[in-house]
Amino acid sequence: MVAKMIRPNLQVYGRQIKRKIRKEQKCQQHPHSVPKEYSLHPDPLTRQFFSPDATRARSMRAALLIQRWYRQYVARLEMRRRCSWNIFQSIEYSGEQDHIKLYNFFGCLMDHFTPASSQKKWISHIFHESDAFQEMELERYFSYKNIEVPDVHSGPHLTFPLTISNVTELVDAFKNKQKLHAHYVLRLLEKTLMLLRFLPNINHVSTCKYKEITICGDLHGHLEDLLLIFYKNGFPSAETPYVFNGDFVDRGKESIEILLVLFAFQLLYPHDVHLNRGNHEDHIVNLRYGFTKEVLGKYRVHGKQILRLLQKIFSWLPLVTVIDHKVLILHGGISDKTDLNLIAKLDRQRFVSVFRPMRGEASVRQEEAERDDGRRRVQSLSYGTAVRLRPDLPRHSLHSASRQEVGSVEEELSERRRLAGLGLTSEQGSAKVLQTDAWRQIVDVLWSDPMAQDGCVPNEVRGGGCYWGPDVTQKVLDRHKLQLLIRSHECKQEGYEFCHNRRVLTIFSASNYYDVGSNRGAYIHLGPDHIPHFKPFQASRTTRELTLRQSVGRTERSALQALRMLLFTHKSELMREFHQHDPQHTGLISLRNWAVAMETVLHLGLPWRVLRSQLVSSSHDGMLNYDDWFNQLSIIQPNAKIANTSLLETLYKHHSNLETIFRMIDTDHSGLISFEEFHQTWKLLSSHLQTNISDKAISELAESIDFNKDGSIDINEFMEAFRLVEQSRAERKPSPISAEQTTDKH
Amino acid sequence: MAPKKKEEPKPAAAPKPPEPEPPKEPEFNPAEVQIEFTAEQIEDFKDAFQLFDRTPTNEMKITFAQCGDLIRALGQNPTNAEVLKVLGKPKAEDMQVKMLDFDQFLPMHQHICKAKDRGTFEDFVEGLRVFDKEGNGTVMGAELRHVLATLGEKMKEDEVEQLMAGQEDANGCINYEAFVKHVMAG
Repeated sequence: MVAKMIRPNLQVYGRQIKRKIRKEQKCQQHPHSVPKEYSLHPDPLTRQFFSPDATRARSMRAALLIQRWYRQYVARLEMRRRCSWNIFQSIEYSGEQDHIKLYNFFGCLMDHFTPASSQKKWISHIFHESDAFQEMELERYFSYKNIEVPDVHSGPHLTFPLTISNVTELVDAFKNKQKLHAHYVLRLLEKTLMLLRFLPNINHVSTCKYKEITICGDLHGHLEDLLLIFYKNGFPSAETPYVFNGDFVDRGKESIEILLVLFAFQLLYPHDVHLNRGNHEDHIVNLRYGFTKEVLGKYRVHGKQILRLLQKIFSWLPLVTVIDHKVLILHGGISDKTDLNLIAKLDRQRFVSVFRPMRGEASVRQEEAERDDGRRRVQSLSYGTAVRLRPDLPRHSLHSASRQEVGSVEEELSERRRLAGLGLTSEQGSAKVLQTDAWRQIVDVLWSDPMAQDGCVPNEVRGGGCYWGPDVTQKVLDRHKLQLLIRSHECKQEGYEFCHNRRVLTIFSASNYYDVGSNRGAYIHLGPDHIPHFKPFQASRTTRELTLRQSVGRTERSALQALRMLLFTHKSELMREFHQHDPQHTGLISLRNWAVAMETVLHLGLPWRVLRSQLVSSSHDGMLNYDDWFNQLSIIQPNAKIANTSLLETLYKHHSNLETIFRMIDTDHSGLISFEEFHQTWKLLSSHLQTNISDKAISELAESIDFNKDGSIDINEFMEAFRLVEQSRAERKPSPISAEQTTDKH
Repeated sequence: MAPKKKEEPKPAAAPKPPEPEPPKEPEFNPAEVQIEFTAEQIEDFKDAFQLFDRTPTNEMKITFAQCGDLIRALGQNPTNAEVLKVLGKPKAEDMQVKMLDFDQFLPMHQHICKAKDRGTFEDFVEGLRVFDKEGNGTVMGAELRHVLATLGEKMKEDEVEQLMAGQEDANGCINYEAFVKHVMAG
């Protein structure tokens, strides 16, 4: 039979289908009447005529079969998607833990700092800026007047006070990837700071003016998402008020643009645009998660001025917004100690970064810890006294980790301490307590996460704030006569999620947060009835064009690549663990023990058995040859210029923290540090980490990194040295999963 | 006008092709199910179960609604009716609310695994061939969509769309052997 090659006439076809549908419907109403087509069609293979009922039954059975297979297909895709999601989340949170360890380290150093020790000069610079000094600095930095904008400058020109056409021009310029000149940036920021100083810690908003208020969650530098929201919902205006719930910067590549747009709208409509501070509105967090790098990259000459001014601006951002005295909006969450009255009264601008411990903070915590040394306890930045409720989960105990570190650094510095005779007076002590309370309130508000169980325990995953339960929600909301808590801080698949009997709502507005297709973003409309209406979205045309399987596949590949890089950094520990399970050195390990070993070393809480099929390509009789497996896994290798590979592994593992420290040392943001600084940093960090690296190795490393031999190290070059690059095809063994080059996770 | 569920089995009862999983006894009794999985398999299932566990504190519980998805993710392909049967025929409103733990899940999964009529590649192709009016190895995409959305355990329009995305050629025809391979590979 000749197959039809011509395109069917769609209209005719449409009619045919309609006829069929009507017959079908008749058929379902009267099971014994059968459409003529079915009864007249012979079976193509056997040329037999089946009875109408038999044909019908076969169609039914066929449909059922296809539907069953389809549902299985979808379920398997869902499983893969969840795996990828889990991988990204655990890597993200374990990265944050590292950062907290760094903070603990600095805290101890700070505590033992003495004016006399010249070696600590660089720390003093960071931690001891007096207010007067800062004001003077700001005077100098407000000299936008000294910055000239050339006439030929192609970016947008702003006039002050801002007009709506200015701001629209600004948004269009950013859409077209243009840059705002530093002169205008500084002016805009200065105006913003002036405005923010007048705002209270808690913004009170009333819906009687408006039909509804739009609330957005984390944006994280995803300008595309912000533009999508404006497109769907309209620009902020007197009729369209907005609340932005923190985390505007870091991770995404257009953080400064988002800030400028939000600030511009706030200047235009100061009563209708409300910004809450998030945990990423903090310059030390920015050092690690990419915002600092972005600004310095885009504004090579004036970047440091801009960053300084932003530090102050972040500290002046309000902490909380309350709508109609009924709906509480803040970035992270609450704890059982949260008290809005306290929050309203504190001096928020004193807390430039929650990572800058105030003098004496670390020692206060240490004393508390020493009091209860019998029990095993966990600590977070603000929560020092709860007992861990989930002993089975393999999370790091920051308390025990920091105890270790305190010990070793203590030895090193106790000598100096004795010499300087440093101590706190009792007066200073009580003032410290007040400051500590205020600091705790802020950290809880910016860093906490909800949990399903009742109670309130330290948030050891984030290392700051707490996990709070439904009873705490009830207590705190009732205490202040509030109905609903809206927060952000956690990425959600659909962009939003309720918990605690629908009294807590998480809203997240950065779609494709982990990778293209990983999640949707959402924003909320809230009217006078205080019932939230959700508007989910997903940016990027490519997402819509991908089929479900393609987008799951992409996210999965990305997640697996990130995981493999992590495995690489833990290679020695993994090998040690494998050897423990293989005392006879057969080179083989059972798949079950492989899963156990992976979790023991990495503490990621991932479903290793489910991931096994993706990570392990071949096993015989349930046994895996782990040497081969590592070789197959190492389809990436570090830059060949660095000779010493075990040192390399250690450095790679800590490279994010190293980068953070370097950027802190490089206080003038020149991008260069001297050999001496490099050496000092490494020595301190390595004693903190209890690794043994000889001076000689460090010097050799430093020299090999100084590529232009001028006695100083370019930070970016240093980081570049550790970027994992794809092995050349000739050397690479065939791998079941294709390799994709990824950039640093910033 | 909407067909009631009880209408559907009637045409099947008249000729004799076996229905997928005809219920011999009306109720499913988990206590009577003998677990034949190996310890390794059970460990694998536990891992997957944990993956579907969306309770924030990892209580190792999933909702009734997720049970079918989990069984399918583990490689089986029951009909919705079969899943509801092992769940004890819960009410629609219970599906998102009631939870089950791993020990309750295991006998359900075992029961589904033992079901005989699971469908092979050939069955699947055979099923699609029914709609191949010209016997040339293709089915009309529009017809297939219509069938999937109106017969059997109906699929929603966007589900059909997902399944068929990129499968139809310029004439709106689908080569069903390739289609089957596509679905089974996922």
